[in-house]
Amino acid sequence: MMTPIFEKALLIAAIGMAGIFLFMAIFYLLILALDRLMPFREEKPAEDFFEETGTEDEDN
Amino acid sequence: MQTMNTLLSLSDNLRTFWSYTGFYNAEPEHLIMILIGLVFIYLTITKEYEPLLLIPIGFGILVGNIPFNEAANLKIGIYEEGSVLNILYQGVVQGWYPPLIFLGIGAMTDFSALIANPKLILIGAAAQFGIFGAYIIALQMGFAPNEAGAIGIIGGADGPTAIFTSSKLAPHLLGAVAISAYSYMALVPVIQPPFMRLFTTRKERLIRMKNPRVVSQTEKILFPIMGLLLTAFLVPSGLPLLGMLFFGNLLKESGVTRRLAETARGPLIDTVTILLGFTVGASTQATTFLRVESLKVFAIGALSFVIGTCTGLLFVKFLNLFLSREKKLNPLIGNAGVSAVPDAARISQSLGLEYDPSNYLLMHAMGPNVAGVIGSAVAAGILLGFLY
Repeated sequence: MMTPIFEKALLIAAIGMAGIFLFMAIFYLLILALDRLMPFREEKPAEDFFEETGTEDEDN
Repeated sequence: MQTMNTLLSLSDNLRTFWSYTGFYNAEPEHLIMILIGLVFIYLTITKEYEPLLLIPIGFGILVGNIPFNEAANLKIGIYEEGSVLNILYQGVVQGWYPPLIFLGIGAMTDFSALIANPKLILIGAAAQFGIFGAYIIALQMGFAPNEAGAIGIIGGADGPTAIFTSSKLAPHLLGAVAISAYSYMALVPVIQPPFMRLFTTRKERLIRMKNPRVVSQTEKILFPIMGLLLTAFLVPSGLPLLGMLFFGNLLKESGVTRRLAETARGPLIDTVTILLGFTVGASTQATTFLRVESLKVFAIGALSFVIGTCTGLLFVKFLNLFLSREKKLNPLIGNAGVSAVPDAARISQSLGLEYDPSNYLLMHAMGPNVAGVIGSAVAAGILLGFLY
């Protein structure tokens, strides 16, 4: 025989776990979307950047 | 006659002085707690169990249990309004310290492992069964719902979250909950491995996971912003902890606030850790701590760690049912979902290396490990939403 307190506890536990999974699932989808929208591209090393644009000293 | 009077006066003064000393006011409970504090300090120094926290906690236990004449209104006890200790303790009671620690944690956490393999975030959710399992067990053992919630959060294996939640739900259990949470976090290398062996086969322990992809800086910057917005809209009660976690992470990843990030993960987190550990230790005064309830809290806390570890492991096995052979996950990373950063992830690594000396799992285990931090803070938010 389940007491009302225990029943409520089960309900809170069920809602709590469902809430956490929902939160994490949305997070999961957002990360996937992020990867799709902004895939990794090789970032240019700093020296290349200066070779192309010139350093501050050279500009001055 | 005058000499006699002087002697009598001196004797009275000495008697008063004696009544103020710790020797006069000492009860066996004080000595037991002082002994516990000394054991904490000894184990921390010799075994290096969570030294940054357990040394302040252990010393705080000593300070909090020095017997004194409470009726004299000396304003030195942690529960005496206006005392220095009481003022410092407000950071725990009012929940100021845990978010500041989360700021520092955010500034030192690299979420790349999670962003590179986002399904690992679900392991961080599954391991939170420990929290709700302990919550139900605590209710069955006769605790009130708010107390059960405070005890359940021990299963999150995250000290600041446990302190934050118990300070709101059951401040009278705060000492027992905090000591229990930090003790079991220190004992993770002892608690988890037997269950990791029990719930995995040798073949599963040898699974090699694919190297994670490279994560761009843009993704790393957007991750905390998305995390904040998601938290704010879905679980607003988790905002004090998760908001600060993501803020700290943005300071780290933005690349333009290096000084702020260094302060958050350096001097700030160190200062708050000292204050938090010391005052939590001092709050364990014999009269409030040495009770049967505290023993029950410790027992349920141990169970919550075990439940969280097992559900994390089993969930990885469940996920593997749906994954292709080359994408399968090594179930040894499932334990890391309980949080306890980074010890739980290190255990995945060391156990994996035991079976295959070239199978490095640390990077993979860091994913569920940091997801566990987020998961336990979300669970805290949900418990506060229902029970506060």
